[in-house]
Amino acid sequence: MKSSSKFAFIASIFLFFSCAESLDFNQIDDYVNKPIFKASLTYFTVVPADFFDSTGTIQQNSISETTNFDALQSKFVKDNLVKLDLDVAIKNEFDREVKIRVEFLNNNVTVYTFTPIIIQGNTLNYKYLEEIEIASNSAILNTTQVKITAELENTGIQLNLNDPSEFEFKSSVTMYIESSF
Amino acid sequence: MKNIIVVVVFVISTTIFSQNKQVLYDFGELPQSLLLNPSLENNYKLHVGIPILSGFSTQIGSSGVVLTDLFAVDNQNINDKISQVLHTLTSDDFMMINTQVELLSIGFRLNDKTYLSAGFYQEIDAIGYYPKDFFILFSEGNNAFLNRSFSASQIAYKLDVLGVLHAGITKKIDEKLTLGGRFKIYSAALNLESTNNRGTFTTVQGTNNIYTHYISNVKMEQRSAGLFDTNDEIIDDKDEYIRRTFLSGNLGIGFDLGITYHFNKQLKFSASLIDIGFIKHKKNVKNYIEEGSFIYEGFEYEFDPNTNRDFWREINNRFKKELPTVENENSYISWRPTKINMALKYSFGERRSEICYDNSYQDFYTDAVGAQLFSVFRPLSTNVALTAFYQKSFSKKVHAKVTYTMDDFSYSNIGAGMSFQIGKVNFYTMFDNILSYENLSSANSVSLQLGINLIMN
Repeated sequence: MKSSSKFAFIASIFLFFSCAESLDFNQIDDYVNKPIFKASLTYFTVVPADFFDSTGTIQQNSISETTNFDALQSKFVKDNLVKLDLDVAIKNEFDREVKIRVEFLNNNVTVYTFTPIIIQGNTLNYKYLEEIEIASNSAILNTTQVKITAELENTGIQLNLNDPSEFEFKSSVTMYIESSF
Repeated sequence: MKNIIVVVVFVISTTIFSQNKQVLYDFGELPQSLLLNPSLENNYKLHVGIPILSGFSTQIGSSGVVLTDLFAVDNQNINDKISQVLHTLTSDDFMMINTQVELLSIGFRLNDKTYLSAGFYQEIDAIGYYPKDFFILFSEGNNAFLNRSFSASQIAYKLDVLGVLHAGITKKIDEKLTLGGRFKIYSAALNLESTNNRGTFTTVQGTNNIYTHYISNVKMEQRSAGLFDTNDEIIDDKDEYIRRTFLSGNLGIGFDLGITYHFNKQLKFSASLIDIGFIKHKKNVKNYIEEGSFIYEGFEYEFDPNTNRDFWREINNRFKKELPTVENENSYISWRPTKINMALKYSFGERRSEICYDNSYQDFYTDAVGAQLFSVFRPLSTNVALTAFYQKSFSKKVHAKVTYTMDDFSYSNIGAGMSFQIGKVNFYTMFDNILSYENLSSANSVSLQLGINLIMN
């Protein structure tokens, strides 16, 4: 066989008899994307004056705030969210107990609520974690509003309007996603 | 069939290699070599490429990941494999594909010092860098990455589908020097590109709240031309894309330049600059630009009974204001990826004569060795390949070439090609990275060129 013919033969070998290791593209069906996202949620700092009416004479033992919250309304979240962790960090410099209620609402109707968080007076580093499994608490996916209520312990003695003590509330959410192709 | 699937999936799911055609370069006086360097000499009187069959080339490559990394049958969990690949990738890893189909190729000798050539080919050229940070954020979230900045600068891609009409001249100045030039008109059917992006996303321990999220110094732009019709619908008619490659797309111009210099009868230097040009995209343009910075700490409740604030809407509105997405249809210029070829070739061996177009005889050597350098300018980097080659002419009609190339994908890339002529019909075929044909699934790159020409000496 001439050299050129040999070369052509070898080239043909490459062309027609190349190999490929066995691959299983169906493995992608088993892939589950499991990102975990952290995001800040609500926060506030209040002083005794925030518990008084506009005249500054009558103490209100409860104040609350509600905001719209659409983060759980997207289809992706509804389809793929498996767990929510809600972390709370609180500093209570008040001289009395403060109770925090966190409610998840849909058109002002409660769909999920925390066990009330009770923080004793002068507690400076209080941590609380609420773990919510979506499978057993799917109603939380209907959340459109978040309401937080701060209630003062009724000691029979009014707070000092000019006391600079602070009650500080911070929170974040950790979202556990599991999605597949 | 399995190999075809592998190649197709490779094209779709990964990336391609640079447009290096190291086997074809200065090989066997093939007419297609003129597209790599218009100054390369030949002794043809006339050549005509067989339409569609005269020149087909494709190159596919992926740095950093191969198919077996993900899809090998190895009883490993696919989640673990994907995670491992993502953490192995670097921001310089990329996928590329380049495919050219020559529809027309003709050339004829004007006189003993001048050869004219022209043609038309269609090309798909795509490169995409792996946006490692985006992939990790998407697949793992930010939970484990406090204080880490996820960068948008890694998002870079460019896709061109175009037709190229060209005409060139190869001019022998004297016995030592030959110059060449080629003028090109580009007709782009589709361009998608996003380069020079910047910006970061970072989550840190906060002061006012538990975390603070920073989206900082963002400027991202996604340009497209030819993808959307006038009704903002995506054009899904393949024939429309093909039609626009025939001078009815967005037009541009470019040049190729080449030089060949003989130090003596055996030592030759050649070099070329290919695709010095641009395309002006002004039809079916749609661009998106995101620019700005955004800081998010959560909603600050005020417990003010006199206001009824919607904090969620306020955050959304502030986001849209501080990091807006602007859509426009402004025309833009897209530069072609300019390529550089350089080669030093030393011929030796048996000295033979071949008949030329004017019935004179020209000496040639049966063997040659040399080195080639290839470089292409890409969005995030310049890709370089260095090649050593050995070339053998078995007769005046049968030539072979073997190459060893070091590039971004491999340090063990061996290529081979052969050109032979039966009567006036020339066949050529070339394969790159032939060691990978033992297992295409684990190849970082694969390329081939083949074609048929009618050549009259």
